[in-house]
Order: sequence, then structure tokens, then C-alpha cells
Amino acid sequence: MDVVTDLKPAEPLLALRGISKRFTGVRALDRVDLDVHAGELHVLFGENGAGKSTLINVVSGTFPPDEGTFQFGGEDIRHLTPQRARAIGISPVFQEFSLVPSLTVEENLFLGREITRGGVLHAREMRKRATALIDELGFDLDPSQRVDDLSRAHQQMAEIAKALLGRVRLLILDEPTASLTERETGRLFELIARLKSQNIGLIYVSHRMREIRALADRVTVLRDGRHIRTLDAATSTDSELVELMTGRKIDLLFPTITHKPDKVMVDVENLTLADGSVGDVNFHARAGEITGVAGLVGCGKSELIRAIYGIEPIVSGTVRIDGLPYEFPAPRRSLKHGIAYFPANRIAEGLALSRPIRENASMTVLDLPAFARFGVLRQAVERTAIQGVMEQLQLRPPNIERTAGALSGGNRQKVMLGRALTRELTVFLFDEPSVGIDVGAKLEVYEFMKRLVEAGAAVIVVSSELPEVLALSNRLYVMHHGQIAAELTGAEKTEQNVLASFFREHLVTEVA
Amino acid sequence: MSDLELSMTTEQTNRNNSFSSEWLWRAVLPIALVALLLGFAAVDRSVLSPANLLNIAQQTSYLALFAMAQTVVILTRGFDLALGPAVSMVSVGTALAMAGATAAGHDPSTVLLAGLGAGFGLGIACGLFNGVVIALLGVSPFVATLGSYNIAIGVATTLSAGRPVQGVPKLFSQLFYSGSIFGIPAAIVITLAIGLVLHLMLGRTVFGRSLYIIGTNPRAATVAGLPVKRILIGTYVLCSTLAALGAIMMTARTGSGEPNLGGSLSLQAIAGAVVGGTSLAGGRGGVGTAVLGALFVTILSNGMNLTRIDGYIQMVVLGAIVIIGVLLDRLRLERRR
Repeated sequence: MDVVTDLKPAEPLLALRGISKRFTGVRALDRVDLDVHAGELHVLFGENGAGKSTLINVVSGTFPPDEGTFQFGGEDIRHLTPQRARAIGISPVFQEFSLVPSLTVEENLFLGREITRGGVLHAREMRKRATALIDELGFDLDPSQRVDDLSRAHQQMAEIAKALLGRVRLLILDEPTASLTERETGRLFELIARLKSQNIGLIYVSHRMREIRALADRVTVLRDGRHIRTLDAATSTDSELVELMTGRKIDLLFPTITHKPDKVMVDVENLTLADGSVGDVNFHARAGEITGVAGLVGCGKSELIRAIYGIEPIVSGTVRIDGLPYEFPAPRRSLKHGIAYFPANRIAEGLALSRPIRENASMTVLDLPAFARFGVLRQAVERTAIQGVMEQLQLRPPNIERTAGALSGGNRQKVMLGRALTRELTVFLFDEPSVGIDVGAKLEVYEFMKRLVEAGAAVIVVSSELPEVLALSNRLYVMHHGQIAAELTGAEKTEQNVLASFFREHLVTEVA
Repeated sequence: MSDLELSMTTEQTNRNNSFSSEWLWRAVLPIALVALLLGFAAVDRSVLSPANLLNIAQQTSYLALFAMAQTVVILTRGFDLALGPAVSMVSVGTALAMAGATAAGHDPSTVLLAGLGAGFGLGIACGLFNGVVIALLGVSPFVATLGSYNIAIGVATTLSAGRPVQGVPKLFSQLFYSGSIFGIPAAIVITLAIGLVLHLMLGRTVFGRSLYIIGTNPRAATVAGLPVKRILIGTYVLCSTLAALGAIMMTARTGSGEPNLGGSLSLQAIAGAVVGGTSLAGGRGGVGTAVLGALFVTILSNGMNLTRIDGYIQMVVLGAIVIIGVLLDRLRLERRR
């Protein structure tokens, strides 16, 4: 293979030296160096707020660095704009999508660079090229579909396709697998291998150790805006990377949880939802253990717990909480019954970003006499209680009057967890609890669940991260196409069994 | 937006940190107020005369009340286009009830109660209607209140047959207009008192807190178990009740029930709220912004009257101010990002 000979050419494709960037007094990047070679996949690794996003924004021309030099293909680059970056072959795929929802995939692909003939759009040619590109990428994507009709995973594919249209020399991927299923992730990995063999350099931002293992040539660890070290992926260990990233030693990624299964707290019988995402599901969760729900994106696992909490309409079936029927669930009544829900999308469903942390944490307790008497807030009580809770959760910095929007992903999740500590609760529903938060914060979330369960609460964890649900749960349900495909306990609880239950389901549906 | 960001050099972006620009935003309106007063005074001295200043304060007290009413609903991402017609409706209803009670030979205090009952009753009914249509039926505030706008005009005109309703008793006018406490006219006293109560309500009650949370992220408010629908209905009722109070005060001033009293009040009240810095995107604003905005709009129209600027031109200015206010709000939101 000619890849190997190209791996270490004399000149790197991208060479950054001493890049610094300040935002309103915060040093987001502090004299960072980065080399990316042609044909190399270079992982940027670090906690939220470590400067990864700022760095890739500098590379893709979103904003200029305050100081430092920027060389690309051996040339000094100054005054880079996103347009120029694309022109010289730097193509970023950000987490926030740049697609126009009301346009089709192909219209988005050619947005701003439409092929025209005499001023008229050349639709046939664009369709042909879009189809060719999507075929080449191996994506299961229809170029004539509107973007707002696509699932998040398909939007991600469209975004990647858009980045690869035209001449690309450096591709930047910011957590590209966050919303992809296992199969789509597999496709993406194949595509990355092909791009590498075509001598394209890649910058890849990810928290996921498994991806780093599968893809990376080199890893650059950032912490607090500083370059900590660049390592060869082949010779570094997981714990070494995590240690470099967090600056502290981490023995185990998951805490050891002592499960003591007690009475059934949540009992769901023949549950079917109005949108058909969950059909005829039987499910239960006990106090004193973590019940996991695994499954692919869109299998109905989130909808299941959302229905229990009362934010997805139920058409039939019964829900019992602590043995008593719970009819017509609604958030306010769920909280009174001791059920709390922690949404996967904390920006859309969790937090009022421009309001202070204090108000965000106390949002779920405003109905309690301890926090409000005759509708009048007891502000001193609120301040002390929330201050105490946030200190316990180690919010950094511990100022509860800052707006929630100023926080990193991990700290935002802590604000959500804070709600759990302000009132008496017995059932905790976690929907993708570690999405968008860094390893350090993940550990704290896991520790938090451990404390809840060991204190006797019923905890349900829904997650697309297989290692996470496998390690945390005592009993694990696997969902597929809106139904329970398997229930695994003890030694059966393995990655192979979970994957096999998807597969079995596939066979059954194909035979039927 | 990205073009704007790119055209600024890094140094500039960094120096404009959020603290100083936030402070600047707060200072802009008071500075504009003083500049406006001095500007008009340069054309006509009498603008700054004590009589005119008291006049401005008194006029502001009505608009401030209406701007506060709008602010409450705007905080939840709504607005009330029907506020003006509701004012007309309440004015006519109050006057009719009092005229009727007087004719029936009741004593003055009963007459007064009948008037207040009818006025606030109509106001509450209007708010309840808006709130139910918006919160329970899910109709957008624009469409819902545009509908009740026409309904209220229809009711006001039908009740009064399109003519001013006479027979407003003296006691009523004294209480809500000509009376004073320590030489401060009744309208100013009432508005100050209501402003204070509303300010405390917004800052210190569950209801007030909920308005900000719902306006900032209605979905999160629902998921967190806030009774969003109930609060929204309460918000529109509060808005219309404040409007009814304003209508009663204005009826006391004119001495008759006027079917055209509301006129352009809906827009003026929205202008007052928005100019003061209440965000149409929800979750930002308060009594202070409503009062400042109302003061600004009042000084502007008072000054334009004294400097004899044509009434129709004044409408153009008012419309432009709403749009400028909204644009400034958006600019501020974008800077925060």
C-alpha cells in the first residue's frame, strides 16, 4: 500500500504553531501546536471546554487566531474565511448541522456552488453528481428528500456528503458518530479508511475510546486550552489517554455498583404508544437496581421511559408505580409520585439557558411548600438548598447565579442532576445520560447513579452506548422496532448477546 | 451573522466583553430619553415646563400600565393585539353599568361597585377567552388575539351603539382621575402601586418565575412539571385585568364610556414594552422595561404634539419604533451568543 510511504512525508499537510485564542477574557487556546499529515487520522482528545472546538474552528476559518502561525500544504495562511478554507480543501463537519431544513439533500449539497447552465440551475447534472457521491460513500440516502424529513443519523450522512463534495485535502469530523447507529458507524469507518488511502488528512474529535482505537494514527490531548501531548495511537493505553485528558488518575471507567433488587417500583404492561414507537411492551424495574434499556437509535427505548414520565401519549396498556396504577401520566404528577426524568436533549427539554443555574435546578420543586409558601418563593431557602446541592455535585465554578447557557455539557447535566437532590424521589429515568459530556463528568454521573441505587432508588438507564448500559445495569432489556427483543441478566449480559438479539429479530422479521 | 463576526477584527471582539456591552445596553434608553427631552425643548421651551412634565408623568402612567400588561404576556412569548379594543369594551361596559345603576336609583357606592364589577368582569372574560384559545386550543397568540380584537370592537360598538356613553358619576372620576394623594394625581399613584406589586410578583412568586422559564424554554418548563397551560391562561387574564384597570382610569378622565378609547393602544403598548427592552423572543423584561418604554413613547408623542408634528406622521414614527425595538433586541441576542 502506498499509504505507508505517504504517512511521514517531510512536510505536514497542516502545521499549526503557537495558536492562541481568547474569548472575552477566557483563554480558549494557549499556544497550541498541531501537525496533521496527508493520509493521517489525527484525533483531538479532551474534555468539554478543553479547546477542541475552538481549534477546529480556527482551522476551518470560522474565526482567526489571536497569535501563532498557520501553514497548510506548505503555504502560510492568513485571513482565512470559511469560504477560502473550502476553496483550499479544508472541509469541516460540525456537530451543529449546516443544512437548510426546507431544502432537499442535493440542494443542500450544492448550496452556494450550484451547477448552472446560462444562469439556469442544471438539476440533472446536480442530481447525477449527488447520486454518484452518495453511492461512492455507501450511504443509504435519497438525494431528493427534504432534510427536515430525515432522521438525525441521515442528516449526519448528508452533512458528511456535503463536506466531501469537491476537492478535499483535510476533512474535519466533530464527533461524527454521536447520532449514528452501529451499522452506519461501520460504514463511516470504511469511508474513513478509503479517504486515508486517498491521502486525505483527517482531524477527528471524539470522546469514544473505541473509535480512537479503531481509527487513530496519532492522538493530541488538549486540556484547558493547552496542548498536553501528542501520542502514537498504537503505543498508548486507554488509561494513559484518560489520565492525560483529565489530569487525574482514573482506575476504572465504571464504578462497581452493589445492586440489591427489592420490590417492583415501575411495572409496565402491554404498553402501546400513540405514535407506534412502542408496541405492546412489558417491562419492570425494581428498587435497588439499575435497569438498563439498550437498542439502536429509533428503537423506541427513549419513548418507553418518556411515556412513563408522561411526555409521550399512551394509547393502551397500564403503568403501575409502586404497585398502584398510574393513569394518564403527566410530568407534574410524575414528580409528585416520585418519578424524575433526565432528558437526552438537555438544551431542548432540560434547561432554560438564559436563566441562572439556581432557577434551572429548582424548576421541579416550585410546587413544594419548602420552596414556596402561598405562591411566594422562599428565596433564601432556595439559594441555600441549590448552593448546597451544586456543591455536592461539584459544579465548577460553583457560582449558581451564572446562566445555565454559560456551562459546559457536563456541568449542564449536573444542573439536571441537582433537580434529583431537591425533592423526595424514588424512580429515576435517565435518557442517554452521558451524551455530549466528557469522560470526567461521565464518571461523576455514574457515581451519582451508584449513590441513588445503593440508597434504594429504582434507576432506569436508556442508552445507545452499549458499554455503558452493560456496565451499569443489573438487568438489561434490549429493544428492537418498538418491542422488547431480549431481557438479559448476570452472565448473559454481554455485548455479543445484545447484538445477537438485534440479529435474531432481523431473521424473524425477514422470515415472516 | 458569520460575515458580521468575520468583519470585526479579533481585538475588537475581545474588548467588547459581555459586561461592558450589557451595561451599555441598559444605559442607552435613559440617555435617549434625556436627549429626546432636550431635543424637543430646543424647539419649544414649554416642553420642560413643570406643567408639561407633570402632564408627561400622568400620560405615562396610563401607557405604563398597558405596557406592563403587554410585558406579562410577551414574557411568555405571546402578545395581546386585543388590548386596545378590550379597553374600549371595558370603558363602554363600565359606563353603561354605572348609568344603569344610577337610573335604578342606587346609592353612589353601589353604582361604583356595579361599574367596577362590569369593567373588571369584561376584562377578565376577555383574558380568559384569549388564554383558553391560546393555551388549551393551541392557537397562536397572533391569530387568537387578532380574533378577539374584532370581537371586542364589535361588542364595544354594539353596546354603545357607536356613541359615547354618558352618566359617569363624580365619585368615579374623583377616585380614578381628579383625586390626588400628597398632590400626586390618582393615575400616577395607582400605576406606581400596581407597578410595585407586579414587580414583586415577577421576582418573588412562583407565578412570576414560571413566566420567565416558560418564555425562555416552554418545552423544558413542561418537562420540569410546571403547569404551563394554567399559567398561560393566568397570564392572559392578568394582562386583560391590567388593561381593564387602565380603561377604568381613562374612562374616569374622559367622563364617559368611549367606544373608540382603545384606538391604537395595542400597538402603543407593544411599542412601550419592546422599546423598553422586553424581548419578543420571551423570557426577558420586567416592570422597569415597561415603564421606561412607556416614558419614551409618551415623551416622543408629547414632544411631537408640542412641536406640531402631524398626527399621521406620528403614527409612522410609532410603527417604525416597534420595528427598531425588535431589531435592537435581536442584535442584543446575537451579541450574547
